[in-house]
Amino acid sequence: MSASTAEPIAPPVGQLALQATAISKHFDGVAALTDARLDVRPGEIHALLGENGAGKSTLIKILTGVYRPDAGSIASDGEPVHFAGVKDAHQAGVVALYQELSIVPTISVAENILLGERTPNTAGLVRWPEANREARRHLDRLNQRIPVRRLAGQLSPVQQTMVAVARALAADARVLILDEPTASLTDTEIKDLFAVLRSLRDEGVGIVYVSHRLEEVFELCDRVTIMRNGSTISTRDVADITIEGVISTMVGRDPGELFPDRGTATDRAVVSVESLTGRRVQDVSFTAHAGEVIGIGGLAGSGRSELLCLLAGAQKATGGTITVAGRVLPAKGDVGAVLDAGMVLVPEERRSQGVSLNASIQDNIALANLEKVSSGGWVSARRVTELARRSMENLRIKARGPRQHVGSLSGGNQQKVVLAKMLAREPHVLLLDEPTRGIDVGTKAEIYRHIRELAAQGTTIIAVSSELPELIGLSDRILIMHEGRISGQVPAEGADEELLLSYCYGRNA
Amino acid sequence: MATTETVSAAPLPQDRPDEARDERKSLSQMVLQSGTIIALVGLIVIFGIMSPSGFLSLGNLTNILAQVAILTIIAGAQTIVMVTGHFDLSVGTTATLSGASASAFMLSGLPVPVAIILGLLVGLGVGMINGFLVAFLNISAIVATLATLTTVGGLAFIVTDGTTLYGMPEVFYWVGQSRIAGLPMPVVIAVVVALVIWIVLKYTTVGRRWYAVGGNADVARLSGVSVRGNVFWAFALAGLVSGMGGIVLVSRLSSASATSANDYMMLAVAAVFLGMTLSNSGQANLGGTLVGVGIIGVLQNGLNIVGVNTYVQQVLTGIIIVAAVLLSSFKSRRA
Repeated sequence: MSASTAEPIAPPVGQLALQATAISKHFDGVAALTDARLDVRPGEIHALLGENGAGKSTLIKILTGVYRPDAGSIASDGEPVHFAGVKDAHQAGVVALYQELSIVPTISVAENILLGERTPNTAGLVRWPEANREARRHLDRLNQRIPVRRLAGQLSPVQQTMVAVARALAADARVLILDEPTASLTDTEIKDLFAVLRSLRDEGVGIVYVSHRLEEVFELCDRVTIMRNGSTISTRDVADITIEGVISTMVGRDPGELFPDRGTATDRAVVSVESLTGRRVQDVSFTAHAGEVIGIGGLAGSGRSELLCLLAGAQKATGGTITVAGRVLPAKGDVGAVLDAGMVLVPEERRSQGVSLNASIQDNIALANLEKVSSGGWVSARRVTELARRSMENLRIKARGPRQHVGSLSGGNQQKVVLAKMLAREPHVLLLDEPTRGIDVGTKAEIYRHIRELAAQGTTIIAVSSELPELIGLSDRILIMHEGRISGQVPAEGADEELLLSYCYGRNA
Repeated sequence: MATTETVSAAPLPQDRPDEARDERKSLSQMVLQSGTIIALVGLIVIFGIMSPSGFLSLGNLTNILAQVAILTIIAGAQTIVMVTGHFDLSVGTTATLSGASASAFMLSGLPVPVAIILGLLVGLGVGMINGFLVAFLNISAIVATLATLTTVGGLAFIVTDGTTLYGMPEVFYWVGQSRIAGLPMPVVIAVVVALVIWIVLKYTTVGRRWYAVGGNADVARLSGVSVRGNVFWAFALAGLVSGMGGIVLVSRLSSASATSANDYMMLAVAAVFLGMTLSNSGQANLGGTLVGVGIIGVLQNGLNIVGVNTYVQQVLTGIIIVAAVLLSSFKSRRA
């Protein structure tokens, strides 16, 4: 793989819908983009890939007028353009959909679709029947039957995404940029979305698709542009590349061992769960040992996350017992007692449950470990900073310093802060819920390595994941749940994805 | 697997079957949503039973309307700001300052219409300052309007010199004391103001943009809505409307003090919160605000009639605000 050298970008076919050349952008003197390029043809689905922090989001925001570039040029339909704001980009037909910012929940579907300056009106008075008809027309184009007068907040996630796509259509989008649109969708919903995207492509819309799920990219996209460290490395036809090639281009090296070696498990039982029963969990029993990584899998709704909640004391158990290092935990769900027993949970939703985005790295870590940084009720600023520095070093958190706000870090580094906060408690048992969701490959490998290091030091790790390769690569032992019960238990080494999947569907092979 | 997929992909039997379901709500949702209206009806029934001749007389009902007229105007102003997801603590003192300024201009010899317009401009000006602080300087609305509340309150003392202004031209009292078809003029003005605000919020692109901004400012901004401009003008309009309320009040009382309309702020907030429980989305809306104003008006009037003193009334107002907020948060948790 000659991935490290920049390859020439394929010559354009016909007129390009959007072309960004040599874009650079700095924030507070730190380069976010140095030489970003992207060209989008009409009627193609173009994947934009890169690790977290590679500059994808910044580039998208420049293409849609949210940020202005320091240097470089953008052309729309061959004409040079300068976007001073989102409105300008909309007028040029460049519209982006953001995963967490797709709709306004408190207004109707129709209003969401016509948001911006597109509501039909006479001298400022909205013509409602026409507005509703117009909104319905855009939804019809997407083959969606969503009541246009319903509050958008009452829709399912995929319907909300569809509403956002319809809004882009209402804005006459010729270039549609989607940022991780499938993160909260089920497999069937993803299929629906893909069908819609393909039909838009066939109508001549140029689609830029940002995703961490490489399988999706290969299923859906025509071309792919890969970014690394703020620069565009390569643009290729999807037919000409492999997943391995994409990964090595993204990380700039061979993926090598994504997962570290196993073999740290001991015979000393640390957590024993007996006939545990609670909401969505039925009669679950297992034992976890010091130095062991246990992976828990299952389909969404199988009870895997609820099991973790029961263990963490966030939910009430109605039957069974949990014993940690010889101590039986109270059944009523007592987070304090669980923490005292040396067991901590790293939650899935890092933005809402894991970190305070508005606070600094050091405050996030210190708040979870006040007893470590205070004496007699007084918090020592010096110890707060020291603790943060140690954690940042340990987990290789990339930041300007311990005082940087967590909200301004990349997703992978935010996740590391969540981990750091919990690890500073020096737990005996670490509960992880989707430890690498929405994180790029490079950071994933680091987090896996770190988990295994902890196991080598004797920590017991129980990780829930929806990704089977992750379960297989990371764990020593895998438990699969189905309808609240453990439907299969296998050693991870050499485990077969098909077998695991059949357990997931409750078919005992 | 294959079978389930075919079923879900099959075309739906009726045309747009979901549209009908739109209107349907669960029983608990309906009770929660109409709880505020039930409370209003309940209060009327209770006071009607306790004092059938006093409370339910035509004279007293007109009296209630007259009493809530100014609150309606100021609560209308508060509704506009709260639709955008912000908060205006200065509506009361802004009304006070507008009323006092208009009075001072009249006493200085300016013609009544000119003095009224200048008084309204004072309200608009305060609103624009609030809007500027919040929309363009990104100061949180609570802090910004708390600051203007204090400053504007001080200005009202300067304008009135700490005394009560009176002796304005007779023709000015027409605004607050005359009647049209038996209805007190403030009631007529309040109805017109409420109607205009209702139309603006529900049927104009500006009003709908305010709702979009209040629902999720980031999405609105990324969809090409000018969040700053919209927030600015919402505050500006709220200032103007508050000023209108203050001028009507001064005309009704025939005098302007340095604090005459200050108390309306808390009541206006209470009314809007009560009204928020009435909307599907939990957002501020004028119809709901009017119900909230009704509850406060009936409560104050009824408690007066059955002989409960004003201090107790104030305590009850606070309790009602907590109850309203609890009710609306309970609702959003269910939604």
